[in-house]
Amino acid sequence: MSVVDTPTRPPRGSAPHRPEHAARPRRRRDRTPWLLAAPTLLLLAALLGYPMVKMVELSFQNMRLRELISGRAPAWVGLDNYTRVLSDSVFWSVVLRTVAFTAVSVIVSVLFGLGIALLMRRVARGVRLLMMVAMMFVWALPQLVAAQIFRWITDSDFGVINYLIDKLPGVDYQNHSWFVSPAQGWLVITTLVVWAGIPFLAITLNAGLTQVPKELIEAATVDGASAWQVLRSITLPMLKPLIVIVTTLSVIWNFGLFVQNWVLRDSHPEPAFQTLATYSYTQAFGQSRYSLGAAISVITVLLMLGVMAFYIRQMFKIGEVD
Amino acid sequence: MARSRVDDGVLTVGRSRVGTAFANTGGVLFSIVMLFPVYWILNTAFKPANEVLALTPTFLPKDPTFANFTSAFKAPLFLADMVNGLIVTLLAVAGSLVVGFLAALAIARFRFYGRKAIILVVLAVQLVPFVSLLIPLFLMLQSVSLTNSLVGVSITYLVLILPYTVWTLRGFISAIPRELDEAALIDGCSRPQVFWRIILPLTGPGLVATSVYGFIQAWNEFIIINTLNSPDKQNLMAWLLQNQTTRGTAWGPLMAGAIITSIPVVIFFLIIQRNIATGLTAGAVKG
Repeated sequence: MSVVDTPTRPPRGSAPHRPEHAARPRRRRDRTPWLLAAPTLLLLAALLGYPMVKMVELSFQNMRLRELISGRAPAWVGLDNYTRVLSDSVFWSVVLRTVAFTAVSVIVSVLFGLGIALLMRRVARGVRLLMMVAMMFVWALPQLVAAQIFRWITDSDFGVINYLIDKLPGVDYQNHSWFVSPAQGWLVITTLVVWAGIPFLAITLNAGLTQVPKELIEAATVDGASAWQVLRSITLPMLKPLIVIVTTLSVIWNFGLFVQNWVLRDSHPEPAFQTLATYSYTQAFGQSRYSLGAAISVITVLLMLGVMAFYIRQMFKIGEVD
Repeated sequence: MARSRVDDGVLTVGRSRVGTAFANTGGVLFSIVMLFPVYWILNTAFKPANEVLALTPTFLPKDPTFANFTSAFKAPLFLADMVNGLIVTLLAVAGSLVVGFLAALAIARFRFYGRKAIILVVLAVQLVPFVSLLIPLFLMLQSVSLTNSLVGVSITYLVLILPYTVWTLRGFISAIPRELDEAALIDGCSRPQVFWRIILPLTGPGLVATSVYGFIQAWNEFIIINTLNSPDKQNLMAWLLQNQTTRGTAWGPLMAGAIITSIPVVIFFLIIQRNIATGLTAGAVKG
């Protein structure tokens, strides 16, 4: 949600482009913009750039608790951390799990989001308002609070979900533990992520749908297109750039899953509930293997690099960046 | 919403009464499912302890009480962490607003060599998962004695919300017609005067929206502060996290604490939701 742009929707039908030269005659070497940007760039360099370099450096060293306390420079160990991580089957199962979770959760969220957005176009005004309000509340909830609520409603002894499922005929869900089986535990985590993700997706896609020109749809209908054909040949293609963007963002966010599994597993996720982010964190801060954690982080970022580049290219392509 | 008459067109094709009834039912059901967890936190927070831990949950508190809220307020460190959170958040928002506004001005109002590179950086750093940078960041701040300090966290949060701030303010500034600048320049304003008298006042609403969003992000953060600082120097989110591990879970006070913690951000969010919701689509669907 952090990459959402401002409401600078240009008025329809305004002159598309101002002639470049007329607007700014000052093309001479002007240091002002750099001076203006300098504080931002310095801060980003110091607290994002430098740590990034440090993270890579750290991954080639052996930083443990001893080095941290004594302040001695950690020894260089070359690729040791990487060979250790990459030859560890636990690591690969974490990678696989993270990828699988990302794939499933993104597909489900985007399909749901799209479905809800389409539904919003179809319902009565009052119902649409209700849906909007419901989603706004969910969207506004802090991630941690949302995760705590889910922890509470899936509580084995007093959780309302067990109570409700137990009411179904022939099902005994009293004192059922949702996190004994990884499959069920991940069902809860995925539900939480999808539930929390739908508002952004549905509201954004709904806003996109409102911009699909009515005339096109009317023309198609007059020509005898069915609702399904209109959806497939007009609505979805027009919505595609937006769908691509929100899907990419969802991939990036969900791949970095940390809060939900962390909170639902009481800050100590069992091996079956580790994702790359929590795994790296646990190695570093739980086991004081800072270098190993850094190596895992580096690999995580490398795995995501392609998707991130794709997102930025899309942003340039749709003209958000002029 | 106000413009619904215009935008009803997307799926009007083949619209039948039965279909609409179905859709409405679906929409209502969906809203109920979405709101259920929100309803349940409220329901729990107002129950007395014995009712919270009842084997048969009640769907409305039989004996509504504020006891959970008072016990949350009285819980150790709750107030301290609330104050910490406010300090850290406000410092971060104020700092990033000042710093970010200048950078946004550069990107929105100047064409210069390297501009695209700056935009690229601003966009890219928003995507880096901050958790992965936590290890070097922790070691770095540790080496300059800024762990377990509100200053260290404030600076970190400032940087955390800075890219977003720059990016959003850029949009607001670009929306101000350049002709206004030029007219002012012709009328004898200096460049700094153009900034003070034209751009800054016109970006006012944008500054509010941006800072509110920055506030939400900083207020909601807990992983960084939980890693860098000890419990007496943390914020309410971290308090909510700690609360679960120390002495079993007191669900009533926890839910009450969660509500207290959420209220400011939920209200803020509902105020600026219009900006957030319409923003992304601005350029994506060209009608």
